[in-house]
Amino acid sequence: MIAATTQAKVTRQRTVAYLGLSVLGACIGILFLTPLWWTFVNSLRPGSDTFRYLNPLEWETFFTATPSLDNYAALLRSDLGLATLNSIIVSGITVVVGLAICSMAAFALAAIPFRGSGIVFVAVVVSFLIPFDAIAIPLANLFRDWNLQNTYAGLILPGLGNGMAIFLLRTFFLAIPKDLVEAGRLDGLGWWGIFRRIYLPLSAPSLIGAGLTLFLFQWQSYVWPLLNGTDSQHILGPIALSNMQGQFNVDYGVMFAGSMVLTLIPLAIIIAFQRYFIQSVSTTGLK
Amino acid sequence: MSQTTDRRPAAEGRAAPTRPARRRRPAPLIAVAAAFLAPAFISLLVLRIAPAAVALWDSLYRHSFLQGGTVFVGIENYTDLFDNVDFKNALLVTLVFSLVVNPLQISAAFLLAVLYTRKAAGAKIWRSLVVLPIAVPPAVSAVVWSVIYRPDGLGNSFLSLLGLPAQPFLTSPQQSLASIMVLLSWIGVGYWMLFLIAGINDVPTELYEAASIDGASAWRKLWSVTLPLVRRPLAFVLVADTVSNFLIFAPVQILTKGGPSGSTNLLMYDIYTRAYTLGDLSKAQAEVIILVLLTLVIVAVQFRLLRSSDAA
Repeated sequence: MIAATTQAKVTRQRTVAYLGLSVLGACIGILFLTPLWWTFVNSLRPGSDTFRYLNPLEWETFFTATPSLDNYAALLRSDLGLATLNSIIVSGITVVVGLAICSMAAFALAAIPFRGSGIVFVAVVVSFLIPFDAIAIPLANLFRDWNLQNTYAGLILPGLGNGMAIFLLRTFFLAIPKDLVEAGRLDGLGWWGIFRRIYLPLSAPSLIGAGLTLFLFQWQSYVWPLLNGTDSQHILGPIALSNMQGQFNVDYGVMFAGSMVLTLIPLAIIIAFQRYFIQSVSTTGLK
Repeated sequence: MSQTTDRRPAAEGRAAPTRPARRRRPAPLIAVAAAFLAPAFISLLVLRIAPAAVALWDSLYRHSFLQGGTVFVGIENYTDLFDNVDFKNALLVTLVFSLVVNPLQISAAFLLAVLYTRKAAGAKIWRSLVVLPIAVPPAVSAVVWSVIYRPDGLGNSFLSLLGLPAQPFLTSPQQSLASIMVLLSWIGVGYWMLFLIAGINDVPTELYEAASIDGASAWRKLWSVTLPLVRRPLAFVLVADTVSNFLIFAPVQILTKGGPSGSTNLLMYDIYTRAYTLGDLSKAQAEVIILVLLTLVIVAVQFRLLRSSDAA
């Protein structure tokens, strides 16, 4: 009898906690969504209506009965179309080449037991933590001398080596048991074989995580493309958008549409890969 | 710490002497490692070390109109900087900004990670909504929030809904820095939360069950089970978040230009104006060196903290 009532009490407590956590989680989630949702809704109506429904707040602040894609069509005629394409090219190449470079470095630091590997790890990661944006000004001067200003190579190169990606990959690589390396060696694999056949296949989630890091670094970069030349051929999305905001006569509708495009492209990629990112290699690779 | 020292001598001992009969002599480990590290090492040298060295070199020289050309001035650019009101203000603003925004973002990210790994209705959906803004580039976020923070913008609409008076946000020296922190946290917290969720999911559920059997409260479990076991991702987040917050530039350049009255003049923006608006490249380079050193000191301190907490 007593056992039954305590059981009921525990169950009731659980239900209350479940409901409370659900409501709290929902409120915070909606709060985070609000600015983006408002941007989205405003990208679907004329710029002259941006401030129409703000005082007081009403349902039309966050919804529109007459959505139109006119702003997106206008976007295609502006500089932002080409700028977005440039961002895609630059970020895509960065992810592919950068993952190769970073995973090789992380493998050397995690799996090869060479003398002084601990010191090299600290040196590599700390040097990469030399804040890139801070040294962007001296580097921009160097790139001018090397004729890399206003080139794709000039935009891509700084994003290839990424300390965060190396740090992340090494952390995951360390969790791969050394027994697998031994087994690989018994099967006659060299170090490259161990890297390609054992470490990389086990590391898909961490590679996706590191790839996202590389992608976001490049897609979101602002200081570097601002300094390394912004001719109309090589201008990147964020710079073009900020130029638009600085103009005297801002069409808020078009500006919000541009913001949505620059957000939806990385968003689609992140949503597609989020579950890989959250899984860790130690649980997926070893069970 | 103890794990790695246990493992390494064993691996070395096995690799070299016990297997002499191989078709090819294996390359020395250090050469193999060097080959794997080479591409990263070259990009490190050319794209990080070289510009830092150039900045250091330039910071010791100054353009002279009298002698025509550059002259060596030693640390004079640095001493001049520390006498400069704008620089001292930028240093203070950056320090205050870091001390507030980092603990705020990391504890928010941790608490949200705990919240969204609990069983609750729609937890995955709400979590995705928090993660959503990480897709927004800082420049785009600045452009969007420039409209939210307008006197007739969305921010004040919400305040009036709550019965609060309209606020000046970006045009007030008291509120501008906090306004920038809010928009940065909007895009940052979800990103750091992802790392911590990955760490929390790694904690074996048996540990929680054991703690429950021992009668531990939810807070006690959070403090004694979750927190120690997510130390590694937490340390990573701490280092990465601090460094990235030292480099804030886009929102300042787009929204406030360092103002009003220098209240948002973070170091990165001060360097930029010094180099390109004031055209004083030597002092800007000296400031680059100061920023680099500041960041490296913070990273070193945090690595040490990580190591000592590993040993414990």
